[in-house]
Amino acid sequence: MLRRVPPLERDLVRLLGAPRVLSQPDALLAWECDGFTVHRSRPRAVVLPETTAEVQAVVRLLHAARVPFVPRGAGTCLSGGPTAGGETVVLDLARMRRVLQISTADLFAVVQPGVVNLDLTAAVRHLGLHYAPDPSSQSVCTIGGNLAENSGGPHCFKYGMTTDHVLGALVVLPDGELARLGGPAGTRPPHGLDLPGLFCGSEGTFGIATEITVRLCRDPQSVRTLLFPFAAMRDACRTVSDIVGAGVVPAALEILDQATIRAVEASVYRAGYPLEAKAVLLVELDGPTEVTAEEAAEVRAFAQQNGALRIEEATDAAERARLWKGRKGAFGAMGRLATDLYVLDGVVPRTRLEEALERITAIGARHGVVLNNVFHAGDGNLHPNISFDGRDPDATARTIAAGHEILRVCVELGGSITGEHGVGSEKLDHIGMMFTATDLAVMARVRAVFDRDGLCNPGKALPQRAACAEVAKWPQMVARVLGEPEAGR
Amino acid sequence: MTELAPRTPAELTELLRARPGRVRLVGGGSRQDRLPPRGAAVVVSLRGLDGIERLEPGDQTCTVGPGLPRAELDAALHPVGLELPCGGDGTLGGLFAHDPVGAMTAGGSSPRSLLLGLDGVLADGTPWKSGARVVKSVAGFDVHKLLVGSNGRLFAAVRLHLRLRPRPRAEAWFRLDGLDVGAAAERFLALRSLAVPPRELHLDRDARGCAIVGRFTGRATFVCERLRALALPEARPFAQLHLEPTPGGEVLAGIVLASQVAALLAAVPGRFLLRGDGRFELATADADATDAALLQLPRFGAEACIVRGAPARRGHGTPLDAGARRLLEGLRQALDPDGVFV
Ligand SMILES: Cc1cc2nc3c(=O)[nH]c(=O)nc-3n(C[C@H](O)[C@H](O)[C@H](O)COP(=O)(O)OP(=O)(O)OC[C@H]3O[C@@H](n4cnc5c(N)ncnc54)[C@H](O)[C@@H]3O)c2cc1C
Repeated sequence: MLRRVPPLERDLVRLLGAPRVLSQPDALLAWECDGFTVHRSRPRAVVLPETTAEVQAVVRLLHAARVPFVPRGAGTCLSGGPTAGGETVVLDLARMRRVLQISTADLFAVVQPGVVNLDLTAAVRHLGLHYAPDPSSQSVCTIGGNLAENSGGPHCFKYGMTTDHVLGALVVLPDGELARLGGPAGTRPPHGLDLPGLFCGSEGTFGIATEITVRLCRDPQSVRTLLFPFAAMRDACRTVSDIVGAGVVPAALEILDQATIRAVEASVYRAGYPLEAKAVLLVELDGPTEVTAEEAAEVRAFAQQNGALRIEEATDAAERARLWKGRKGAFGAMGRLATDLYVLDGVVPRTRLEEALERITAIGARHGVVLNNVFHAGDGNLHPNISFDGRDPDATARTIAAGHEILRVCVELGGSITGEHGVGSEKLDHIGMMFTATDLAVMARVRAVFDRDGLCNPGKALPQRAACAEVAKWPQMVARVLGEPEAGR
Repeated sequence: MTELAPRTPAELTELLRARPGRVRLVGGGSRQDRLPPRGAAVVVSLRGLDGIERLEPGDQTCTVGPGLPRAELDAALHPVGLELPCGGDGTLGGLFAHDPVGAMTAGGSSPRSLLLGLDGVLADGTPWKSGARVVKSVAGFDVHKLLVGSNGRLFAAVRLHLRLRPRPRAEAWFRLDGLDVGAAAERFLALRSLAVPPRELHLDRDARGCAIVGRFTGRATFVCERLRALALPEARPFAQLHLEPTPGGEVLAGIVLASQVAALLAAVPGRFLLRGDGRFELATADADATDAALLQLPRFGAEACIVRGAPARRGHGTPLDAGARRLLEGLRQALDPDGVFV
């Protein structure tokens, strides 16, 4: 049967050609959610631009027609960030995956937003360089998504988050104008402001980055990866405190709890972690050989003092990859436990880790949910993960309630509701735990400077009255389950 | 000259709510000669908001008032083995709002990367906050990043949440003198792109020639080995972060790519001070020389503005990207619509 093509879709086809405009409902299935599968909604259409000029042309068209739009990278976001409402057009940037420039002298690269995180490192590896931010999803997620989420990863304890590695961006603003924020020489000239710093973490609501300038790092002379299993989570946490307290700054300090170890060991991500351990601590040290040797000795001593069950150190790259395999594959392994996985992302001051974990365990038990913990211990960034059956309304309700309480505990302990996954649509209900309506209003004013008409990824990152019904569905569900008014409204 | 000095955030809020007219926010006041004139604005000194509200050595974070002198924070951090790993002096509010130094080396810590969050007050007295006290948070937009380089023209910061780092166990300064421009630029580039670059790196050109000065930090074994392996002579600490204008002269502050430094130095005369992250200061002989330099800089991908010179000329610089300028003006309009902060 012939389908009547609405005028907007016709105009999009005129701009990009039919193969790069998808609007048949079946074709849109792949874009109905991101890694936060609780919230699903099919967009009105998906377009696949390949250049800045095409993004600009599409945005101008949508702006003139007052049609909301959402930029999208690989869709691995865990907070519903790129999920689009039914009236919304998705600009899928996956085809913008060229590395435009590499400077070995000035140590930067300019990339299109669809470049996959790990592909950038692969492109500069022969030069002895790498791109430092390394989300666990790095083999899939894009630099554009990383920028929008200000993504972290295991190595950001030493090297910082995405914001610390972004020098500049060329952005198509939501009315189609172009703005160059920062650049290879620095994020701001002395008579400017840190616009890349502001843009980073704006969750696709400030415009569409079409070229991103990132810092490249020289590969360290040596890397040492150590694994310490412990009979108690407390001992693992204390080892972390001792290491940090001694002034050692490992590249990574990661902990997995016993439930996660068991999930990993039962999966294709099996890494040989001991099943009897209540926690494993993975420590990576990098730097000059003589420095990592001294640091490794100190770290081993701390682990021993705290009762490490054994000490394992990678002796070559294959061993290192094995020790990391379980950590990097932890989310995948947990995905096998049930049909759905709710990945939380709270942060607590590092000194409150033990207390936070005890309270989280109690919350899990009270709500009868299957809860695993894997976390960036150096940063106090917890990922309590709840495996549940999303088809079961009771299980979903208990999951939501437990998640809500866990994030409240993080805030009570002086932390944050999200360390790296963003607010998206998922945490609109939680953001009021950290910010007052006035704080959020100031943020909304700043957002309006970029997007006066509220067309770019509406209903994300900040609670918004004008959010369209589809996008607001998840917070409403949360409010229903918890019997609480939605935050910031 | 009226100067008001609130002692608490609540007093500042009240003061601003009373609509005192145009306001110039100052910290210690040591950088006022680098800013455009304030006209008849009321001076509001934040020097009285000088507490260390929270210092958590285990978490390597602290919360301080903007009026706290940097030296006092350093003194408090020393006994617990921590430091604020960026350059700059004066009060912390001034250091972050003026951001005169930036990172001392490529990719090093800078005010931008150490500011975890803040409590602020808008020009109309509205208190608000952004960021968090913990080392990692992506909740809400990073409005606090706008403090850096805002020179008090967007909002008043009344509480800063800062990230701290362990104080290095050892350090060693080095200095190479008498280099020509080409050799200095080459050495600068090479040192800057080491896997572990010097924690501080400066290229200093004066009438006698160029010098490269820097500081390695870390474990004692590493620091000693570095100087030896790179054949760098040990030297006294280098503390010059800014240039003074010569009589009738001006000073430009800017950013440039390290690979362009040799060409830039060949094109523009005058005393020149460059740091590892590409920030520089250039002392020009007079306003004409400044204008000539401002015309030349874009050829080298450099951007700069006048920071010392006749008050009316301060703040003028190389043209900004039109889209970025639109955003800067929009942000100012959004946060201080009546133009209270000057
Ligand atoms: C198994 C797994 C592990 C993960 N591990 C980590 C981790 O360790 N650390 C971490 O921080 N995150 C992690 N994540 C979350 C996710 O991978 C990151 O948020 C990532 O940055 C998203 O990138 P993406 O390309 O998938 O972006 P998407 O999910 O497609 O989009 C994310 C957001 O970015 C916006 N956006 C995308 N491109 C642009 C652009 N060019 N301009 C403007 N806005 C844009 C979108 O609108 C959306 O709001 C993990 C996710 C999974 C599934």
